[in-house]
Amino acid sequence: MSSTSQKHKEFVAEPMGEKPVNALAGIGEVLGRRLEEKGFDKAYVVLGQFLVLKKDEELFRDWLKDSCGANVKQQGDCYGCLREWCDSFL
Amino acid sequence: MPVFVEDPAQFSKPRLKSELIAHNVTLPAVESKKQVYVELYLKHIVQKSAADFSSDEEDDDVVEVQDSQDFEEEKDPKMLDPSVLTDDELKTTLLKYGVEAGPIVATTRSIYERKLQRLLKPAQPWQNGGTGDADQYSDSEGDEESVSQGSPETVSLMEENLHVDMRMVPHSWNNKNTEYHYHQCFMPLSRMVLPQSVSLRGGCDVDSSLSSKSFSITQMVEEFESRIPLSSSGPEIKRGNNRSSNQGPCPRPYWQEAATVDKYTMTNRSLFITPKTSLFKRQIKEPVTDVLMEMFPETEPTPTGIAATRRRPIKGAAGRPVQFKYPDLPASPMTLQRWAVEHRLVPLWVQILVFFIVACLLYLIYAAMEDSLANPFVTLLDNLSMETETEGLSLQAEP
Repeated sequence: MSSTSQKHKEFVAEPMGEKPVNALAGIGEVLGRRLEEKGFDKAYVVLGQFLVLKKDEELFRDWLKDSCGANVKQQGDCYGCLREWCDSFL
Repeated sequence: MPVFVEDPAQFSKPRLKSELIAHNVTLPAVESKKQVYVELYLKHIVQKSAADFSSDEEDDDVVEVQDSQDFEEEKDPKMLDPSVLTDDELKTTLLKYGVEAGPIVATTRSIYERKLQRLLKPAQPWQNGGTGDADQYSDSEGDEESVSQGSPETVSLMEENLHVDMRMVPHSWNNKNTEYHYHQCFMPLSRMVLPQSVSLRGGCDVDSSLSSKSFSITQMVEEFESRIPLSSSGPEIKRGNNRSSNQGPCPRPYWQEAATVDKYTMTNRSLFITPKTSLFKRQIKEPVTDVLMEMFPETEPTPTGIAATRRRPIKGAAGRPVQFKYPDLPASPMTLQRWAVEHRLVPLWVQILVFFIVACLLYLIYAAMEDSLANPFVTLLDNLSMETETEGLSLQAEP
């Protein structure tokens, strides 16, 4: 349990509402900017993509790498964050 | 075999936009006309596939060239090049590899294409004898399509079977199905639900999940059954029985109908074999359903005989503390253990009491048996008394 970051814990603790995409675990400034350029300006849009990919880990990681160039750790963080959020709130 | 031509001029502007984004092409100015998007689409995206086919003409006739070359290479590149496939084909191909793909939208398409490529990679070197495998694949594609949802070919196939055997298929279904055939990716989500349900109505797809769908399927099956001279009662009475809330007839006809429908689709000699075998099957099926009803006496009989339990909401999430809101939760193993322990505590006193009573009894018995057990004690006592006597004598003797 101690492997999740503070960002992850904060994100998973409450409904995401209008949080920006930077609020996702694993998504920092640079990646956030790239996602925003692609049109994924809010965290819920990335959530939408996550759900459209049926919450599949491999596909979502692929997509993340493809769209913003996230490395393996960042992909894993983001995926874990979204999955846990979905477990609690979806 | 129909060739699927994706004419970009027929795409909508947002669709073109999303396609360009998916292929990492910079978008033109927001207010530019659709033609600009079409040109960009043709330029970048068609170029990619044109490069694959090594065509000389790149400007106007690219689409047409693609057509002719698509037609030739339709069988092989469908195995090799996922970008040629339409959304539906891509989905079915992925399903062949055991990948349950989600909706293939602009943003997800490239991901699924890449996945398919990855799946195809180890397979390609083994596909030297392409024709044999292609035949297998084409056969399985036919099967797959009969299973997949939403394609009118499969629906018409199924309906043909039933039509030939039973001549009972109402023609309205055919009409309905032809109206509602869309490419999945072109439809807004709200409309996606409808056509599935409508196509499923005619599609004999028993794997439906919505209750409305299931009811319409049973309607259809009821109509089948009603027109076959199987049951002793008249069709209208049967229908009335089916639609009423009786426990017995409701699930039973479903089982029976499923069995007989299966049989009908497989064999052509439908009406001749029926009466005895169906009755026999009904008798076999009866005890099964009765057992079910016994097991779950509280469930209301549903038209299809399928009953679902309430899905337990997520514990401890978003202000839903467990113990206050859901008192009727089934007990967890820990609580069961605790209950078992508590349960045992009550007769524990009884157990201890019984133990003492038995101990007393044993002692009494033991004391009552004078002869056998007395001897060692007597000898012990004698020894003790002798010792004391000797001690006493020695004590007396000393002073």
